[in-house]
Amino acid sequence: MAFLQWRRFNFFDKETVKDPTTDQVFDLLKDVNVSACTSGRGQLVIGDFEGNLYFINRQMELTAFRAYEIRVTHLIQLKQHNLLISIGEDEQGINPLIKVWNLDKMEHGSPTCTRLTRAIPGNKPTPVSAFAVHDNLNFMAVGFENGVVLLFKGDVTRERHSKSRNVFEGTKRVTGLAFKTVGKDVILFVVTDSSLHTVNITAKDQQTKLDDTGAEPGCIVMTDASQDHQLVIGRPDAVYFYQPDGRGPCLAFEGVKLQLHWFRGYLIIVGKDNKGLPRAPVLGPRGMEMNTVTVYDIQNKFIAHSTAYPEVIDVMCESGSIFIFTGDRKLYQLQEKDTQSKLEMLFKKNNYSLAISLAKSQQLDQDGLIDIFTQYGDHLYGKGDHDGAIDQYIKTIGKLEASYVIRKFLDAQRIHNLTKYLQALHKSQIATEEHTTLLLNCYTKLKDVSKLDEFIMTKNREVDFDVETAINVCRQSGYCKHALALAEKHQKHEHYLKIQLEDIKDYQKALAYIGKLDFESAESNVKQYGKILMSQVPDEMTDLLKRLCTDYRPNDGGIGKIEKAQAEEFIHIFVNNAGKLTEFLEHMIEVQPASSNLVYNTLLELYLHDMVHEKVIVTRVERERKTLELLKNPDANYDIDQALILCQMNNFKAGILYLYEKAHLYQQILRYHMEHNEYVHVIESCKKFGQQDPQLWVQALSYFACKEENCKSQLMETLTHIDKKNLLPPLMVIQILAHNSTATLSVVKDYIVRRLQMENDQIAEDERLIKQYKEDTEKKRIKIEDLKTSAKVFQASKCNICSHALELPSVHFLCEPHSFHQHCFESYSENDMECPVCAPENRKIMDIIRAQEQSRDIHEFFHNQLERAPDGFSVVADYFGRGVFNKVTLITSQVGKGAAPNLR
Amino acid sequence: MSYAYLFKYIIIGDTGVGKSCLLLQFTDKRFQPVHDLTIGVEFGARMITIDGKQIKLQIWDTAGQESFRSITRSYYRGAAGALLVYDITRRDTFNHLTTWLEDARQHSNSNMVIMLIGNKSDLEARREVKKEEGEAFAREHGLIFMETSAKTAANVEEAFINTAKEIYQKIQDGVFDINNEANGIKIGPQHSPANQSLNVSGSGGNQGGNCC
Repeated sequence: MAFLQWRRFNFFDKETVKDPTTDQVFDLLKDVNVSACTSGRGQLVIGDFEGNLYFINRQMELTAFRAYEIRVTHLIQLKQHNLLISIGEDEQGINPLIKVWNLDKMEHGSPTCTRLTRAIPGNKPTPVSAFAVHDNLNFMAVGFENGVVLLFKGDVTRERHSKSRNVFEGTKRVTGLAFKTVGKDVILFVVTDSSLHTVNITAKDQQTKLDDTGAEPGCIVMTDASQDHQLVIGRPDAVYFYQPDGRGPCLAFEGVKLQLHWFRGYLIIVGKDNKGLPRAPVLGPRGMEMNTVTVYDIQNKFIAHSTAYPEVIDVMCESGSIFIFTGDRKLYQLQEKDTQSKLEMLFKKNNYSLAISLAKSQQLDQDGLIDIFTQYGDHLYGKGDHDGAIDQYIKTIGKLEASYVIRKFLDAQRIHNLTKYLQALHKSQIATEEHTTLLLNCYTKLKDVSKLDEFIMTKNREVDFDVETAINVCRQSGYCKHALALAEKHQKHEHYLKIQLEDIKDYQKALAYIGKLDFESAESNVKQYGKILMSQVPDEMTDLLKRLCTDYRPNDGGIGKIEKAQAEEFIHIFVNNAGKLTEFLEHMIEVQPASSNLVYNTLLELYLHDMVHEKVIVTRVERERKTLELLKNPDANYDIDQALILCQMNNFKAGILYLYEKAHLYQQILRYHMEHNEYVHVIESCKKFGQQDPQLWVQALSYFACKEENCKSQLMETLTHIDKKNLLPPLMVIQILAHNSTATLSVVKDYIVRRLQMENDQIAEDERLIKQYKEDTEKKRIKIEDLKTSAKVFQASKCNICSHALELPSVHFLCEPHSFHQHCFESYSENDMECPVCAPENRKIMDIIRAQEQSRDIHEFFHNQLERAPDGFSVVADYFGRGVFNKVTLITSQVGKGAAPNLR
Repeated sequence: MSYAYLFKYIIIGDTGVGKSCLLLQFTDKRFQPVHDLTIGVEFGARMITIDGKQIKLQIWDTAGQESFRSITRSYYRGAAGALLVYDITRRDTFNHLTTWLEDARQHSNSNMVIMLIGNKSDLEARREVKKEEGEAFAREHGLIFMETSAKTAANVEEAFINTAKEIYQKIQDGVFDINNEANGIKIGPQHSPANQSLNVSGSGGNQGGNCC
């Protein structure tokens, strides 16, 4: 048979109240014949059958006054106001009188009575059996033995404005009355000996019968707010709770109940709980019946205290303790233990769940609760109930060090529990990297893919773990898909690609993924993974590269600005895949002619390589054409030197020649032909480039001259050209030809003859000129001499300026002679030293001299001229003529083209 | 919170079959492995929605102990639905069903919807009563049947809601007199009888007792 009782604890310390001044048991009431008790505002109030009222304050000081002539029957101390309302009798017979005492106003040592009202229902006096006052001081209900309830409405402290009416008329004694406010309505519970009703006194006294059973007087109490102000009625079989609209739960506490009281969430039942005891009734001291006072915690369902007392008169709840007034006129005080000691008692009994609910109902702070959870968890763990323990530990998350719990469960190999804890840890957002790792490891150990899915794949979930760690753990434990999903979701491109390529080997997807990335990520990732991708999916990879290097835009339609990567940076990716590289580079130079020279170089190399390895003639020709085209492409920005080396290495004649030509390396071209003994080409190239570099002919000559075989015609042609351009002194030509054993005189005969002839002509011409110059010089000398020594007759009749007849004054110059009117001369001449007619001519000559003087210092120019001149000697002579070697400048000496004016 | 109807339920069955746990799971969505014996009658409430209507379930959880039978019996009256619970791991609780059913039928109104519940379905390994047996019993006595687990919450919600649906259907069919509170059905505060008559006639019910 199970215990049909709640768990029993002792949460109250019982002590007999002592008089603090004497330290003796409080016995001031020992002769009082108690009729009614109440309490409130720090004092206990006791009325007796002699009409006295006794007040006991906190210091246990007793005061008393006489309130009624005969007796006090009912007392109510209001909690909110310092008012005491009493019912008693001043006269013999049945004549109940309500008195309201204002305890704040003392008059002759007793409180002021502010109201005195007779409580008589109708006109037939009946003893009062129940009494209730609403806390708002507006309603006062009095129940009578004849079953009538009289309601006083209006200020209870005054007689005036107070109206009374019968709100209930039954047949049985009214045993209890209680007010309850529901919204705007005030409900009056009316309990009689045999029934239970509510009367809505604010709505036309509407009556509702709640039950067919009533209650004994005293067995009625209202709960406080913690139990929603229910009416509690104690009956022998159980305690019933009532709401205004009906019966609520019941608690089957058996036994005859004498009193019900309510104290801070506790229901106190005074009962004759002697059922089942062999000797009944139990008699206390002086033959008094023993009563049991039981304190129930309604919310947490346990008995907080239970003790027997001799004949309990009343229980008063005041100043945070319960005072029990017993038949031996002693006061017992029940003091509630503090929460901590209560909890400790519960812990000792391993009653943690109760401790938790108790702590919650006592509003214990969070730290205290956590402490309980921890202890509970430890307890359950110790008992081996790991599932239960982890539930408790989860509640400690955020306060208790997580490692404490984790270590416990790691040691015990309880992965399931550990997983649960870690999950909770993540949910509360305080998981660290290690926790994530551990959780994922747990999942993988458990092979719990669905949980892993949930943890990782759940979309739009707030991320409460370290993504990188999660990815790494998933990868390591082989859950690549999960790692992949994570990486994708959190944009960890590197990880995504690594997994996709290294673990899953789904190159297509990896490629597609790269295509979706923004430019920078795409570029760096291509650089990193390009080689693998190229070797696996060359076509797609090439396409991607093309896109990347031209006008990259992420695949998923981002409008981001177009960016281009440098093609040359990707060339290395195409290792071992020349075809694709060619395709790529062709595309690049087509789309982007201004590509770097590396691109062109590489492409060229590829072309050449292809060409060389091509066996079929037709395609080979085609290849050659393509290569040459590339070389000739004016945009092609290849490196000529390198191209040349490439061509040479691959023996690509057309290319080599073109490149030589492009680089103006005509000699090289010539030499190339010479090496290949292609006479025709030698001559052709000489003809072609002879303009740019005449020396070619000379080389050709020596080349042909060295040739053993018959190349007379070529030699002849070369000679003609050399001759035409006068490239070599004949002596040199002869010398060159002399090397050749095959060259015959007939080859050079014409040439030599012609040369000699030409030289003779030249000599003759020169001699003629010398002669002429000598004559000129002689003439000049004679003239100078003449001017120096002989007189000059001016006989000009006309002015050389105005062509009129010469008149005085006139100016004559020695030069022609020229003669001018003085006024004409003055108006024309720039200075009077020069003849205006000869001056321009003179100045020209002077300028030439001066120019020559100036230019003689510009040595570069001189050397340049010297180099370029076909005949260096004449240049030197020319300079000599300008007086290069003249220290005496011409400017200072007035070489006498003009003379001092001769004035007449 | 306002509601269209209030249904009173009662949970009955032998002690220890999990009546209080079922209620706790339904109202608080939690499970308490260690549960003290119910002393007397406890109470729980929850709102559900059926057919777009808010329905408040007021559930009385009774003590299964024989010695409390007289107290719990007084709560049968005024219940529109009853959950008759047995424990699939204890055959005796199944054997006592007949007594419980008689008791319930005797003390409640005849229209009361009774759902038979085989609880603790999570303890399959310790099962003593086959599901078929439960089904057969329910068929025989005109009950609805369901196996639940208050621990895993399996079918708990359904058990309460299906019962409510059944009651709701009976109201629609006019079987219940909704104006008699002794039937365990109360019309919500905002649903005055005038409004109610409109609602009921709209659903084709043959509600007779409605006049204003």
